[in-house]
Amino acid sequence: MLAVIPVRDGVLPLGGGEVAAECHNRTLLIGAATRTAAGDLSGRVCLAEVGPFQPGAWANAIAAAVIDPTGMLGLPKIVVLPASPDGRDLAPRIAAALGWPLFAGAISVSASSVVLARDGGLRMHTHVPPAAFVATLQPGVRGTDNITAAPEIAEIELAFGLHHDATVDGVLQPDAATIDLAEAHRILGGGAGLGSPQQFSELAEIGVALQASVGATRVVTDRGWIGHERQIGTTGVVVHPDLYIAFGVSGAVQHTSGLGHPHHIISINVDPFCPMMQLADLAVVADANAVVHELLVRLRPLDPLDPLDPLDRAGASRE
Amino acid sequence: MSDRTQHAANPDVDVDVIVVGAGPAGSCAAIALARAGFSVVLLERGPFPGSKNMYGGVVYPRILDELIPRWYDEAPVQRWITRRSTMVMTDTQAMSIDFRNDAWAAPPYNGATAYRPDFDHWLAGHAESAGAQLLCSTTATGLLRDRSGAVTGVTTDRPDGDLTARLVIACDGVNSFLAKDAGLYREVAAKHYTLGVKETIGLPKEVIDERFGVRGREGVDIEIIGCTSGVNGGGFVYTNLDTVAVGVVLKLPALAAQQLRPEQIIAKMKTHSAIAPLVEGGELKEYSAHLIPEAGLSMMPKLATAGLLVAGDAAALCLAAGIWLEGVNFAMASGMYAGQAAAEALRRGDTSEQGLAGYERRLTETFVLRDHRKLRRAPALVLSDRVQHRYPQMVAAVVERMFRVDNPDPKPGLRRILAQERKRAGVRRRDLARDGWAGLRTFG
Amino acid sequence: MNSPIDIVVCLKLTARPGVADADERFAGVSPADQAALETALVLAEHSRGSVTAAAVGPVAAELALREALACGAHRAVRLDAPSALDSAEVARQLEGVVGDAAIVVCGDYSLDRGSGSVPAFLAHRLRCAQALGLVSVDHTGVVDRMLHVVRRLDGGRRELLTVPLPCVLSVEGSVARLRRAGLRDALAARTTNIDVRPSAPMAAHAATAVVTPYRPRARTMMSPGDPDPLARLRALTDATGSSTRGETVALEPGEAAERILRSLREWGYLD
Ligand SMILES: Cc1cc2nc3c(=O)[nH]c(=O)nc-3n(C[C@H](O)[C@H](O)[C@H](O)COP(=O)(O)OP(=O)(O)OC[C@H]3O[C@@H](n4cnc5c(N)ncnc54)[C@H](O)[C@@H]3O)c2cc1C
Ligand SMILES: Cc1cc2nc3c(=O)[nH]c(=O)nc-3n(C[C@H](O)[C@H](O)[C@H](O)COP(=O)(O)OP(=O)(O)OC[C@H]3O[C@@H](n4cnc5c(N)ncnc54)[C@H](O)[C@@H]3O)c2cc1C
Ligand SMILES: Nc1ncnc2c1ncn2[C@@H]1O[C@H](COP(=O)(O)O)[C@@H](O)[C@H]1O
Repeated sequence: MLAVIPVRDGVLPLGGGEVAAECHNRTLLIGAATRTAAGDLSGRVCLAEVGPFQPGAWANAIAAAVIDPTGMLGLPKIVVLPASPDGRDLAPRIAAALGWPLFAGAISVSASSVVLARDGGLRMHTHVPPAAFVATLQPGVRGTDNITAAPEIAEIELAFGLHHDATVDGVLQPDAATIDLAEAHRILGGGAGLGSPQQFSELAEIGVALQASVGATRVVTDRGWIGHERQIGTTGVVVHPDLYIAFGVSGAVQHTSGLGHPHHIISINVDPFCPMMQLADLAVVADANAVVHELLVRLRPLDPLDPLDPLDRAGASRE
Repeated sequence: MSDRTQHAANPDVDVDVIVVGAGPAGSCAAIALARAGFSVVLLERGPFPGSKNMYGGVVYPRILDELIPRWYDEAPVQRWITRRSTMVMTDTQAMSIDFRNDAWAAPPYNGATAYRPDFDHWLAGHAESAGAQLLCSTTATGLLRDRSGAVTGVTTDRPDGDLTARLVIACDGVNSFLAKDAGLYREVAAKHYTLGVKETIGLPKEVIDERFGVRGREGVDIEIIGCTSGVNGGGFVYTNLDTVAVGVVLKLPALAAQQLRPEQIIAKMKTHSAIAPLVEGGELKEYSAHLIPEAGLSMMPKLATAGLLVAGDAAALCLAAGIWLEGVNFAMASGMYAGQAAAEALRRGDTSEQGLAGYERRLTETFVLRDHRKLRRAPALVLSDRVQHRYPQMVAAVVERMFRVDNPDPKPGLRRILAQERKRAGVRRRDLARDGWAGLRTFG
Repeated sequence: MNSPIDIVVCLKLTARPGVADADERFAGVSPADQAALETALVLAEHSRGSVTAAAVGPVAAELALREALACGAHRAVRLDAPSALDSAEVARQLEGVVGDAAIVVCGDYSLDRGSGSVPAFLAHRLRCAQALGLVSVDHTGVVDRMLHVVRRLDGGRRELLTVPLPCVLSVEGSVARLRRAGLRDALAARTTNIDVRPSAPMAAHAATAVVTPYRPRARTMMSPGDPDPLARLRALTDATGSSTRGETVALEPGEAAERILRSLREWGYLD
């Protein structure tokens, strides 16, 4: 097994360390300032110092090195990348160049079994893989091993052919708008269980009262109910709060892997068995929309809102 | 799809007929018109026909014999109703009249349980194959009219959304916005509506078969009086293949006055010893609510105006008279007759109010208005305080005393029990006689 | 202005996630695919270009294509294939439709499979540039055959890219709201001809999987560095991925709010 980890400016991507560990610390680092990044790893690390991310060019070069019988990668049959943005974009191209199948978004990878998260992360598909394949590993699901010794580093030359790639004009650091989320000690997370954008403005009000920031799942940001920069998860912002309160969040692996390890989790959901409820210290089976409303009423006692009138309810449910 | 012309014969309009609402009424109207060779656009606000429609669960599709012969071979039916019960209950008692008919388990069948997303989708499919153009996710937002006030089309919520036609048929369901917009309703008070709420409860098919005493595709329909926590109304329990529908129909003013939430009333009903064993251990799959036009004839709007016909619940044609809760069959029939009358009017080129009179004539000649005439007093009677609160008490007490064995005392005479229990329930003899007579005239 | 630009948008019809039996009546395209369609339409408007909507799948997939036609796609192609193809195979089928198109726009991941790999496979086959997982697309560059886009990276960072044509893009759902189709267009789209092509011969593959509900994997963790013994213990016990850590209560909304506030007080988040 070989971990292939794209590196930007000496920094490992999300899930990089986990992929190295999953591959028993046999790693190819490719990108810019790879030597710096190697400091976070152990085992055997090959460095390909090739500059900014160029998935088209890199894929062909990596594939050639993987099947080079005289090369220093040792003819790995299993290539694993982190399912970080760069890893996800690179992996299919490596698989295609090698003509090997791709298992994308795996929760675990070994020669005998590959487990994938599917259906919005709510189900697992367990495959018996063929002899040679490429996979991406979902960040945050495995955890890393202790680093016991300095890595054994070797540099590798890759052969680049003709290719077409986009040019990188620059990298923007996190949006000012998300800084508060990334650094917040308390976070209220809204998911698809909240029925309308209205609930998110109410959530923001509760956030003020509880000194918490508001984040959301991808389903919500995709709907445009809140800015995409407020998406929590491995493809959004990775957060490290002490307190996380999840309103109508199913707890898909891509979301929870970006949650850090809160001291306290409260989850409000109609489904007592979904993963978010399993993770919670307090799992409340209730309609999250109504709970948001009730919390707001209690945290804003000066302005109690009228209880719903049965006629209104009838009217509302006709829609 | 048929290759019949998709465009109106008259080049000044987009289509011959716009049918608004792909419920049972709308689809049947569209089938009739498309088969008669007219171009029809069928507008539906949901993502597909039936997607948002709910009801108790039993349809009586006999009327479809005319539009879709042997519909029973293909309709998406859950179970065929072979057993009907009418139950009267108090908090701790229940009495049922139970009827079973094996003949209802074979063609041509009588009633069936079906899911509306399946049934409406299927029926609209027939409209499409007849040549109607079904357009979903599109809401009609108003009527277009010419200077004389005649309806000439609809506006919709889509960009560039005005559509013109020689005739519009409003099948947009209860509380019809279009019929009101056209001024066909005099005034509609909340007291004319009941609120229907329903829970769908999942159970394995074998469990349902065993608990309800049926097998195969046989199904049960139970109507209940006295199960609504003192709110005037009624309840029902219907069997689908692997779910049971439990619901109540509640009089709106009474509900508001009692300050009870509908789901509390269902929850209480589910704990009754006559109901609990039927639904115990089931998994709640769905909760839904919908208004029902309940007052029948007394709230029926004008059925036509120049360029517009109204059918189904939009015309308050639902029959909600106690032990009868039928709307889909009335909707299908009125839709079909509206379609036929519309075709007739279009052929003659007269879509004025008089030109459309064939519609009301058809309804008057058939069960649609005949049943309504006959049962016009039923809603008031069944939902009256006496029938709701006093009679169940009285009936249960009478039956209880008849069956109670009080040895060594001898059995009391029925006449005496009746008189005593009538008094105890606070029912005056005069009222009992009058209600009995009204019942006979209504249901007899 | 340069010559018109042909754009292909790839749309996948999926059943609503979480709904067990894939019922086509409840199916739709993902917000990401809707955003892809809107992006394609706007790019075409800026370049006098045309939009072809493409779907690989059974007849039901035409639902997505008709919606695209109603919104303004110029033509639609369905590659007839079973619905459960793997991504490499989908890309192979799509390649034939793309032909000389200058831009292919995809959603960043499909709702069910969610691998986000079809676009990269396609870029590889077409030997062209890719820019995937975009959170913003600047339409003005299209006339110069250079697109300026913003790609999402991890850690809340974003990457600015210049993409030469031809290229494959994939966009997140938040990039654009799909326009609502006009009434007449929606009616016309019901009967517009959809070009149905037999799928290219399929590579044999056997991706049979055992499907089970999601359960977190046991995590290995570095030995906890926290000086607080309680925190260390906590880190270690959490690390086992043990599923239940707290209590589950079913409550009315009002009671639920009370209960939540009580816990917040107990835990010291509220006075
Ligand atoms: C490559 C890739 C990357 C991804 N990255 C991310 C990421 O970074 N962040 C992220 O969040 N997702 C990400 N996702 C998406 C992820 O897989 C899930 O689809 C998503 O997190 C689910 O969001 P959700 O919980 O809001 O919605 P759902 O999964 O639809 O869950 C909604 C929940 O609400 C509950 N509910 C419904 N109604 C109510 C009610 N009235 N009251 C209370 N509860 C209710 C339901 O029971 C359910 O549990 C990614 C997916 C892929 C494929
Ligand atoms: C709780 C309950 C239980 C019932 N039980 C039964 C029963 O067991 N058996 C029975 O036969 N009947 C029953 N009924 C009555 C039955 O549901 C109705 O009578 C029947 O559905 C009427 O059909 P329709 O086509 O007129 O209207 P609907 O079925 O209401 O259809 C109207 C259609 O129009 C669409 N629409 C509405 N407005 C617009 C617009 N502006 N633009 C576009 N589309 C629009 C709607 O989406 C809908 O599809 C019950 C009703 C309730 C509420
Ligand atoms: N069967 C398909 N037909 C057309 N486009 C597809 C198909 N499958 C995937 N795509 C496109 O590829 C994107 C990513 O899908 P996936 O790789 O399955 O996550 C989708 O958003 C679509 O744009």
